[in-house]
Amino acid sequence: MKILTSNPVSDPASVMYRRCTVDLKSGKMRLEDVPCRNLEDVLGGFGRSFQVLAERKISHAYCDENPLIVNTGLLTGSSAMTGMRTYFSGYSPLKESKKGLPAAIWSTGSGNFGAKFKWTGLDELIFENRSEKPVYVLIRETPDGPKVELKPAEQLLGLSTHEKMMLLQKEYNGAHFATIGPAGEQWENVYMGAVALSTDNQLKSGEDKMRFAGRGGMGSLMGYKNILALVAQSSDKIKPLTPEVQKVNINVVKGGGSGRLQPISRGGGGGTWAAYDVLQVFHAVPVNNFRPQGNDLPEKLFRENVEKEYLIKSQACYRCGITCHNNIHEKLEDGTSGAFLAKFDYEPLNLLGTNIGIHDAGQAARLIHLCDNYGMDSISLGVTISYLLSYNERHPENPLLNGAHFGDFEKITELVKQAGLGNLPDIGRGSKRLSENCGETSYAYHVKGLELPAYQPETNPGYAWAIAGGHMSMGTYGLLTREGKSDIDSWVEGITRTKLQIVGFDMIGLCKFFDITKGICTQMVVDCLRSEFNIDVTIEDLAASVRRAFLLGLALEFRQGYEKSEFTLPAEVREHPNLNIKLPNITSPEFISELQKKVWEIFDPELEGLLSKYEQPTVAREP
Amino acid sequence: MKVTIKLIGPFRIGRFKEEVREYPSALSVRDLIEEFRIPVNLLGIVLINGIHARVDDQLNDGDTVILLPFIDGG
Repeated sequence: MKILTSNPVSDPASVMYRRCTVDLKSGKMRLEDVPCRNLEDVLGGFGRSFQVLAERKISHAYCDENPLIVNTGLLTGSSAMTGMRTYFSGYSPLKESKKGLPAAIWSTGSGNFGAKFKWTGLDELIFENRSEKPVYVLIRETPDGPKVELKPAEQLLGLSTHEKMMLLQKEYNGAHFATIGPAGEQWENVYMGAVALSTDNQLKSGEDKMRFAGRGGMGSLMGYKNILALVAQSSDKIKPLTPEVQKVNINVVKGGGSGRLQPISRGGGGGTWAAYDVLQVFHAVPVNNFRPQGNDLPEKLFRENVEKEYLIKSQACYRCGITCHNNIHEKLEDGTSGAFLAKFDYEPLNLLGTNIGIHDAGQAARLIHLCDNYGMDSISLGVTISYLLSYNERHPENPLLNGAHFGDFEKITELVKQAGLGNLPDIGRGSKRLSENCGETSYAYHVKGLELPAYQPETNPGYAWAIAGGHMSMGTYGLLTREGKSDIDSWVEGITRTKLQIVGFDMIGLCKFFDITKGICTQMVVDCLRSEFNIDVTIEDLAASVRRAFLLGLALEFRQGYEKSEFTLPAEVREHPNLNIKLPNITSPEFISELQKKVWEIFDPELEGLLSKYEQPTVAREP
Repeated sequence: MKVTIKLIGPFRIGRFKEEVREYPSALSVRDLIEEFRIPVNLLGIVLINGIHARVDDQLNDGDTVILLPFIDGG
């Protein structure tokens, strides 16, 4: 970034980001410094990429005009803790409106790739068209600035996400990697391909401890473009910590936001896994396709039970003091650590565990491991499989695919493998399409075509307004469970004002655990921006920018054919209330109807005309 | 008065899962938090008889209090 002003709000054009546009068909590249249009451009991430997407009308995700945008946030690669995010944006092969148009989406992950990418001197890569042959993209720092090259990648074909990284590491010292797996390569049959991001720990240990940008099929879009990997090679450019940023970082680790995610040994709650224990009190841990049974089955995957048989290592992203990772290893007879099995976060553990009837930690770890190495989104994969299992339970005389049922580890393993290899489009294309093909959509747990994370929809009608999937783009998932809010006004306020602010993290380059309860509109972020870049941005400026970016996301959904009737929860939630869940019912038809009315009363005027400045007469071309 | 106390997740470590204890009257949730040295920054949810409550809420004979840690997505 070139920052020639201290006031990017009034003078955004004096901030320029370096963009490389790559035409994969011709191999031509254009490197340019692009002046920012607004604070969203300055902050980066989806705040910038969605403005690019808004300029294009795309009717099919797999078309040459659909770009794959890779970028970072302003604080990616900075000395601010958790500043490691990379963003992948495009029109999604997975998330689509009922009219069949693809939704704009972004997906993000940590790992070291983002910082390395930033340190090459590049802020954004836009891939246009499609390469005829498989390539990987080398982005490297040179004395003349960042250089981007396309390299033949036949040798990477068929390798897992991790194997691709290990092979590339032999050639590129000091580099980090973003790869797709076999699933992304089979983009025609797998719409839920993820992008894996290498970590320092992984490259040093050789253990497959990647991070993922999983949501919305950005790995499949990357596969369609015939890009198998990105390599970012640069020297490390970590600035010395200023007293201001040091103070912020200490607050991140010890303050209210992230102290709770610290390992139990440090007095924390032990990462997101702790959600199991909390949600079970309300019988709100998803079981067998989001139908909690009011029993103690979920407790089998409680940490206290898993650690009897396995060794749990608390580890962290590079230079992050939060240490929220729970890496599960075999426990050897002498009590020492054996092979690494999988990382247990709440979402993959539940959706590839309890919610598909798997209550054995080793089996859940195996499924997570397979999903990661094939390169699929664990949320979409888990929920699509749980739909299939539910269908088979309802149709024992005529089950689908291999007839797997809840808890059938061997058959579920085969489903994961075959989906990852592109042999099971029924699974690989997600729950929306599968349920529509089956003619039974009421118990398909997606909203707007994207599968729900592991928070019961009965606890979160805010899902309907999430613009890039479940809990990570609408922070209302704890409004009922955590805050006990069951009145309409609290939910309207949450959806339309306070909880949408969670998407700010997906602009600026920080992980949500920087301060998940308050978002990015805090003095901590203001202090970081001033210290790192000598720019003055107020909390109010940040809040307004995040809101504009969110609203643009909503406006894009309408342009891609979504109707207001699609902003709702799976029908089963309304039609067959689950009486086992010990929380007030806030998903009755009456509540949802009133909520929709009041939310749109606030959003509608702000959405009017929002897209007009981006409209251009581009016509999408079918593949 | 008798109060049933249930602790969830890491709050159980070095403490207990569930106990019934006797107290004099005029007891608040905060008194329990201090008694059991529950780290305030970890405390996410307080339930009294299954209903969300605040730390300054008073307890009555026969109440069941559940103390839960904070939850975060991911």
